Amino acid sequence: MSDRENGDAAMDSRLRGNDGGHPTEARKHGEQRREFGLLAAIVVASPVLVGVGYSVLGALGVAGPGADGLGMRHVQSVVADGATWRGLLWSLWIASASTAIAAVLAMAVATVFRGGRVSNRLVRFMALGPLPVPHVVAALCGLLIFSQSGLLSRIAFATGLHSSPADMPALTNDRYGIGLILALVWKEFAFLALVAFSVIARRGAALEETARSLGAGALHSFRVAVLPALWRGLLPSIVAVFTFVAGNYEAAVLLAPSSPLALPLLTMERFTDSALGVRGEAFVLVLLAMVVSIAGVAAHEWAAGRAEAGD
Amino acid sequence: MDGTNREPRLSAKRDFRVSADLTFESCPHSQLMTYASVTSHLCLSKLRFFQTAMAAVLACGCDTEAPAPQISASLPWDSIVARARGTTVQWRMWRGDPSVNAYVDGWVAPRLLRDYRITLRTIDGQGPAIVNQLVVEREARARGSADLIWINGETFNNLQKEKLLYGPWANRLPSAASVDSLSSIVMRDFEQPTNGFESPWGRVQFTLIYDSVRTPDPPRTVAELSRWIRAHPGRFTHDQQFTGTTFLKSVFYAENGGSRSFEGGFSEARYDSGSRRLWAWLDAVRPFFWRKGETYPAGVADLHRLFANGEVDFTMSYNENEVITKVRQGVLPATSRALVLRDGSIANTHFVGIPYNSPNPAGAMVIANFLLSADAQLEKLRPEVWADGTVLDVSKLPREAAARFRAIDTGPRSIPRDTLRRYEAPEVAAEYTERIARDWKVRIRADTK
Repeated sequence: MSDRENGDAAMDSRLRGNDGGHPTEARKHGEQRREFGLLAAIVVASPVLVGVGYSVLGALGVAGPGADGLGMRHVQSVVADGATWRGLLWSLWIASASTAIAAVLAMAVATVFRGGRVSNRLVRFMALGPLPVPHVVAALCGLLIFSQSGLLSRIAFATGLHSSPADMPALTNDRYGIGLILALVWKEFAFLALVAFSVIARRGAALEETARSLGAGALHSFRVAVLPALWRGLLPSIVAVFTFVAGNYEAAVLLAPSSPLALPLLTMERFTDSALGVRGEAFVLVLLAMVVSIAGVAAHEWAAGRAEAGD
Repeated sequence: MDGTNREPRLSAKRDFRVSADLTFESCPHSQLMTYASVTSHLCLSKLRFFQTAMAAVLACGCDTEAPAPQISASLPWDSIVARARGTTVQWRMWRGDPSVNAYVDGWVAPRLLRDYRITLRTIDGQGPAIVNQLVVEREARARGSADLIWINGETFNNLQKEKLLYGPWANRLPSAASVDSLSSIVMRDFEQPTNGFESPWGRVQFTLIYDSVRTPDPPRTVAELSRWIRAHPGRFTHDQQFTGTTFLKSVFYAENGGSRSFEGGFSEARYDSGSRRLWAWLDAVRPFFWRKGETYPAGVADLHRLFANGEVDFTMSYNENEVITKVRQGVLPATSRALVLRDGSIANTHFVGIPYNSPNPAGAMVIANFLLSADAQLEKLRPEVWADGTVLDVSKLPREAAARFRAIDTGPRSIPRDTLRRYEAPEVAAEYTERIARDWKVRIRADTK
């Protein structure tokens, strides 16, 4: 064996961690990796933890603008305010509806166009179009298309269906957030589709082939092999989209109604209120939004844990 | 699309036209309203919360508290100018209006560099964001990030309450001698005496904006406006921010016999009885508002967009000349006109202040003095520049400078000065604004079914 081959073997063993290598050295490398991982986690988490700590102090009235001494005033005021819970429910409705629709669409496109033909590749490429578009631009497009003086309304006017902007149904700044949901679906669909394409390419094809070789029909192998793999692969991204959309400000500020006020808008409103005394409430609302996001992630971890146990 | 090129329109149906205006509002330096690119506003708004929260964290322990270098009260003005020479001044100001930005960046900054060798740098930030920033800087014991700030109203009130302003200094400016010292609107800020902690910069007055073709005979009083709203369902609304609150305050005055009832500081009892009349007025007309009063434009630029797109027949502004600049920018139709309500048109002044921790108060004072000079005030007043009202008493100026002020032609869209003065009403205590804004939000949100 040449020196070079020896070196390659040593490198391989190092990469593998312990196979054939010196056990003490391998352990040392493993520990180093763990230490590096811990350091990276601290670097990523510390600004968040400090931010959370500051928000807690702000919520308790001991830090931040308008801090007026330790107490639960801000918390009580937020909890007692019906606008908080209406805003939270409204934001959850928007996040659930837009995430669910975008996920179903992404899964449908990923499975229907999963083949290697040029037309399939073209569709997959086109589906990623909204990916680089910022959320604020997506929301502006929503406004330009769906508002009562938007493109749809103008087409209806040009074709004689409408005679004034008020004839157009209110799809923006509306109580059910239809325009907002449509804009978010368009935007989030691309991200979920990207993940879905990757999951199908990585795992779906092989699983489907195995199922087919074991005698399953096309539909059956899709149902028992591809779909579950796609769902599991996509779930973390669905949770990420849900938590992101629930806290999204820039699309909501353009397309959401003034009542009920979406939670992110309510938070910013309190933080920039002309009365200093209510700014502490913004910190309480931030913590509330964080609890919702953590609940979403925890639900996912629980579901993933159960699925693994089931396997 | 250039609004100035639009054909006059004859009916509401024809008014329903395309406007590709994307320069929505952002807004809200409280009283200093105009436009901003939507992206800058949204991104900055979103970031501000985290920015201020994180600023404390990042600055904490990295810097030591650095209060503004003191300038002795006996220091002659020439020495202050000498101290300012060759320095850099950071000005935290609302950057949402292209006209204001062009004036500051393209006219003020080069002259400061030429005449005083002062480099002017502007940072975006206004109203509540300035207060938040300074509170966090104090908590973090950090060196000040701004030398000059553009403020007024409740921002000044909050900064004074929190003792976040440097001063007094404004009375030391040589140009202060020409300020309109007889005007309570210039000398007081939401009823508060400025006590030399801020220097006046511009003066504005609240107006409604209408389209002279769509609405040839607009209402001129709150009572006429109520009748007009009832007769034209869905064609009127106001925004949710400062301009909208100022409109509500105009109604608050009108329904209670004028601003006099509320002068002399905040009174809970007077607010209670006064606001009852305001809410009664609102309850009566709200079903006839745009979208039946169930939703409102976020800011005044959104209201401008609804007006330009023919969804509503009125917009509004807390600058009597904004109609001029917005028509020039193509944001509003060429046939737009401004009017003052005869029950009272609220006027106020916007100011510049110096934060308590400004690293360069001398430079900030020299700039504030320059902003008050006749040349700078005149340039700012020009309709093709910013059309912002002057805070100077023109009669105190040398004859030649005064003649230049009188010779400015603001065009057919401007409201005659004597009309503005005749109907002007002062701002009352900032607490009235805060309460009206808060209670309005509670009321409209409580109605959610």
